[in-house]
Amino acid sequence: MTSFDSEKIAEIHRQLHSRLPSDPALRVKAIEGLLIEKGMIEARTIDAWIELYTEEIGPKRGAHVVAKSWLDGAYRERLMADAPSALDELGYLGHATGHLKAVENTPDIHNLVVCTLCSCYPFGILGMAPNWYKTAAYRSRAVRDPRGVLAEFGVRLGEHVEVRVWDSTAELRYLVVPERPLGTDSWDEAALTALVTRNSMIGADRDLSPGAG
Amino acid sequence: MDGAHDLGGKQGFGPIEVAAEFIPFHEAWEGRGWAITRATFRADWTIDWWRHVRELIDPIDYLSRPYFDSWIQLLTAALIDSGALTMEEAVSGKAASAAADSEPMPPEAIMEIAATAARFDRPIDTEPAFKPGDAVRTRSLGAAGHCRLPAYAQGRQGLIHAYHGAHVFADDSAKGDKHPDHIYSVVFEAGALWPEAEGRRDRVFLDLWEPYLERA
Repeated sequence: MTSFDSEKIAEIHRQLHSRLPSDPALRVKAIEGLLIEKGMIEARTIDAWIELYTEEIGPKRGAHVVAKSWLDGAYRERLMADAPSALDELGYLGHATGHLKAVENTPDIHNLVVCTLCSCYPFGILGMAPNWYKTAAYRSRAVRDPRGVLAEFGVRLGEHVEVRVWDSTAELRYLVVPERPLGTDSWDEAALTALVTRNSMIGADRDLSPGAG
Repeated sequence: MDGAHDLGGKQGFGPIEVAAEFIPFHEAWEGRGWAITRATFRADWTIDWWRHVRELIDPIDYLSRPYFDSWIQLLTAALIDSGALTMEEAVSGKAASAAADSEPMPPEAIMEIAATAARFDRPIDTEPAFKPGDAVRTRSLGAAGHCRLPAYAQGRQGLIHAYHGAHVFADDSAKGDKHPDHIYSVVFEAGALWPEAEGRRDRVFLDLWEPYLERA
């Protein structure tokens, strides 16, 4: 039975701190071996999860959603109104997307997504989060100094642009829909998908013009 | 809880490593550690208990050890707490007994699990207290247990931006009680949060449950 007792967990953490090896690789090896020996996990399942999130589930899904929303006004309306249904149309519904909201960049608005309290992220359409997203530096600064953070990513905003920072404090998740760059009128869905960066869908990239990167 | 995890607005952390190449798992142990957690979630845990166990890690460890190491530590602690492992087993890496109550997740199951989007909205028999456009003030005190109202947004005035129905209330879900409460996106002017942001044209949006809010 789970205790839901904070003090009990804090004491377990203190014991683990002093009794487990410091090297995380050794910790993982030991716990994996133990859980397999106890019949609680299968090594093949561990391999399968890693393969799925390395090979298949990643930001190409989100990029496809964004590109489709640029080409198809009706899809864009559905995405903005009910993002989980719009993902489901493409077979992309998955982990941490059940309460997804799409937020649009415009010439006057730039959106930036963070989770200051942990590391919430729409894994099902963006895959594993980039390392910087999980750092104390990003989590602490994105809400307080978003323009400084964006400048470090090479995004410089005029004074007229409003920055909207979305702190993922509950089970809603946010997908930034960047602006379609000029000069791509004749581009097809595949070419547009290739333009959409992971960072642009978090808000850490803005100008997707070919060659702008 | 008023812990080291509550990082929004804390100063002194320095620049962000923006140039690092994206690799889902930088070292093999990171992928395995993450995947082990995906394969061992137990039925009587909640997502909020999970988060709370992570934020209960010693603050020095929380801020200094590698990210996925904290996942492995929280998993180990939660399994010990639930009686699925003993401390001696965790420390020795040797099983003293077989698992009493769980079947391992087979690899064939993961595609369906990965394609399932958990939902946290629930029916509720009360009316929401606020509507979009209402001025609200957030609770000024923190909470001893798990809480999703960050310190930087406590005691601040904002506006209801959107109403999202009722979602499982995180503070109580971390204690195993999965009842819902009304939830809103609340928007704060940067100048209401940070002294140096006076007059800046930026806003911060948080998703907050009704018990965190009062009418302003």
